[in-house]
Amino acid sequence: MSRTLRSFAVIGVALVVFGPLGLIIYQSFLSEAFFSPTASLSLGAYRYVLTDSGFHSAFGTSLLVSLGMTLISVPLGSLLAFLLVRTDLPGKKFLEPWLLVPIFLSPVVLAFGYVVAVGPVGFFSLWTKALIGRVPWNLYSLYGMILIAGLTHVPHSFLYVSSALRTLDPSVEEAARVAGAGPWRIAATVSLPLVLPSILFSAALIFLLGFELFGLPLVLGDPAGLLVLTTYLYKLTNLLGVPSYHLMAVVALSIVALTFPLVYAQRRMLRTAGRFAVIGGKGQAFRPLPLGALRWPAVAIVLLWLVVTVLLPLIGVALRSVVSQWGEGIKLFDVLTLDHFRELKGYPNLVRGIVNTLLIGSIGGALSVVFYAIIGLAAHRWQSRWVSFLDYLVMLPRALPGLIVGLAFLWVFLFFKPIAPLRTTLFSLWIAYTVVWLAYGLRLISAALLQVKPELEEAARVTGAGQGTVYRDVTLPLIRFGLIGSWLLVFMMFVREYSTGVYLLGPGTEVIGSLIVSLWGTGALDLISALSVIEVALVGLILFIALRLGVRLDA
Amino acid sequence: MPDLIVENIEKQLGTAQVLCGVSFELQQGEVLALLGASGSGKTTLLRSVAGLERPDKGKIEIRGKVVFDAASGFEIPAEQRGLGLVFQSYAIWPHRSVFENVAYGLRLRRVPDAEIRQRVGDVLARLGLGHLADRYAHQLSGGQQQRVALARAIVYNPPVLLLDEPLSNLDAKLREDARAWVRELIKQIGNSALYVTHDQTEALAIADRVLLLDRGQIQQDGTPQEIYGRPTSQFAAEFMGSNNRFDGKIAEISANRARLENHGWSLWGKLRGNKEPGAPGTGLIRVERVRLADGGGENHLKMQLKSALYLGERWEYVLQLGELRLRVWGEEGRAPGECWVAIPQEEFWIF
Repeated sequence: MSRTLRSFAVIGVALVVFGPLGLIIYQSFLSEAFFSPTASLSLGAYRYVLTDSGFHSAFGTSLLVSLGMTLISVPLGSLLAFLLVRTDLPGKKFLEPWLLVPIFLSPVVLAFGYVVAVGPVGFFSLWTKALIGRVPWNLYSLYGMILIAGLTHVPHSFLYVSSALRTLDPSVEEAARVAGAGPWRIAATVSLPLVLPSILFSAALIFLLGFELFGLPLVLGDPAGLLVLTTYLYKLTNLLGVPSYHLMAVVALSIVALTFPLVYAQRRMLRTAGRFAVIGGKGQAFRPLPLGALRWPAVAIVLLWLVVTVLLPLIGVALRSVVSQWGEGIKLFDVLTLDHFRELKGYPNLVRGIVNTLLIGSIGGALSVVFYAIIGLAAHRWQSRWVSFLDYLVMLPRALPGLIVGLAFLWVFLFFKPIAPLRTTLFSLWIAYTVVWLAYGLRLISAALLQVKPELEEAARVTGAGQGTVYRDVTLPLIRFGLIGSWLLVFMMFVREYSTGVYLLGPGTEVIGSLIVSLWGTGALDLISALSVIEVALVGLILFIALRLGVRLDA
Repeated sequence: MPDLIVENIEKQLGTAQVLCGVSFELQQGEVLALLGASGSGKTTLLRSVAGLERPDKGKIEIRGKVVFDAASGFEIPAEQRGLGLVFQSYAIWPHRSVFENVAYGLRLRRVPDAEIRQRVGDVLARLGLGHLADRYAHQLSGGQQQRVALARAIVYNPPVLLLDEPLSNLDAKLREDARAWVRELIKQIGNSALYVTHDQTEALAIADRVLLLDRGQIQQDGTPQEIYGRPTSQFAAEFMGSNNRFDGKIAEISANRARLENHGWSLWGKLRGNKEPGAPGTGLIRVERVRLADGGGENHLKMQLKSALYLGERWEYVLQLGELRLRVWGEEGRAPGECWVAIPQEEFWIF
């Protein structure tokens, strides 16, 4: 039983990871798309891409964006983490779930929201112009893109720094207080330095995510002619008129060549993280650090971030979805309408997209959690070299942006004839989603498994239960709540996913996210805004359920 | 036929050799304590018997049936050894009621429902848990959880009951009560038991026989009286009880007695182990065997009483003579000053 399970896990993961990756590598060494009869082995694609000035500038932009957003989100995220975890910030119980919300919002929706809220003719831009005569910002610029990328990635550093701060023994801060330090000084000289490994870890993560950005640069960079590596890849799709798969493969590999070392470095950092951490002896309640007069400015910082990062784009999207048109001189109340939502019914592909999004999130998400649970259980208390092999396998997809995984699976379904019919079904999308979120899903599962003390399983074994029976009678029942939580979180991730479906988009595989990306090319703002509102509402509903059930979002 | 035979077990964990060739037998109905400090390998030994660890070398037999043999690579998995194990943390399954926790082993053995109800009911009643059958672990006190763990381990009549520090999570007062009834229970059901503990009082109180382990080796194997009263090694002597220690030189040997001396004192005692006159030696005596004396005599020392500490049920005097410091117990408070101390020869062991 456990033997079958373990073999299945190792072989299954190896197949879904190496299959697509191998195909990309193979394709990169061909002179044309792999299905072309005249394709031959060649380094031509490398020569073309690596000498293309467009590639060079996209590379430079990617680097700047990654660096810039890391410099914004890490300090801000660490500060917010300190305020929410260690101080008596007013209303922190209420604020905390909101800090993680951007993680569950689709970047392409957020980017679109910024365009309609603070773009050149956005709601807030025009209102500001009416007030002071000009728009004092320019969204379509490198700085605009970096700022927004930085602000929307604050939750990622908040997540890691706050969980490290939570394990910090409060007495080290109390000692600093007794010695005469104020809250800001404590943060700067005691608390944050003690969780430095986690801060650095989150910096590496955000730097990595910078190279995988797709929605934000597609929507915000394009109008200014700014391409990053992923959008450069996307533009290549139709560059030559025929599918330029060989060039796309090279670009995809160049992205992986950047992200893989970062993922590897992160893994090493994780091993040393916690080395400084002063873990509290007992989980005793401690008195949070009083901020004193600084508490209101501190709340203002948190709220300002929340307004700019979450409220502003969401209000933009919501407003845009209920106005028939928008521009200078138009009064909001004259153009209110619900027509855009009614219009959706006229497009069968959009209706299918909404249904498919629900299906892939609910049923697909559940199946993925089952798949992750099988892998998690297989590795659980298994002492073998295969476990570290499995670990590395699982880590690999983290270096693969959704866009590339989707592309690679498109090729897999084109390349292997027996499974070709599956390409136009939701299965193709499901397997790509499952691979993209493999590391995330497994982290959820192993967090749940970590709660199961080994004695509980050993007790069952000694009592007479075989490994399979132990899983059935002890392990699974004990993590059932964790599994439900994982399902809800994966559900949200699958609903907000957009980049993975871009290349797999076709009749039968439409989902809201990839539809928005393709509609963005046509400028159908009315439909995009309506779809976005539906997506956000869906995510909001699941988030609400998850929070009511007490699911921890910070996994 | 012994219930359990352990032969020459060796086990390495990482770079540490945890067990270096341990052998013992457990007779039918016997309670055997594995006593040792943390890191002595006692828990690893117990887990090897249970099948939760795989030793590198050696052989284990339960009731004449080989369950592990490193030489032939043969191993019966934990779930087929049929043993009962009580964990230090109790490991009560939180998602099952008390009844279902205890019934689990019987269900795995496909015992009919009616019989399960009866047997579980009997065991719970015997342990005073009858009224708690429908509760869950979080609704039980520590002492009750510990009883559930014990009930779960004995309900299917395992050939050997294994207990891994079962009392160490209880409060001191509860622990003293538990010692008595755990021993009573094991004796009543007539099971043989392997009992791991780091608490010497517990080992002496509960066991018929004690195995003293140190760094993966058996230091001494004997009844509680032998382990405490006739230690065969300096380690065994120092591990048990509270001791006074005399470092000196062997001055004289006659038959099984020796004279140990150092600046200002010279004492006769029982020689343990092989020593030559002139070799350095260590004398040990249990604190409770030393008495203040009214005057001089054979094996009496004249010492300075430095302080008298009140410990509640007795007084402890701290005495000094040069570099030698002794602790002696007595009944009443005393002022500092000179006094005589008697070191009974029979109780003074020289290693």
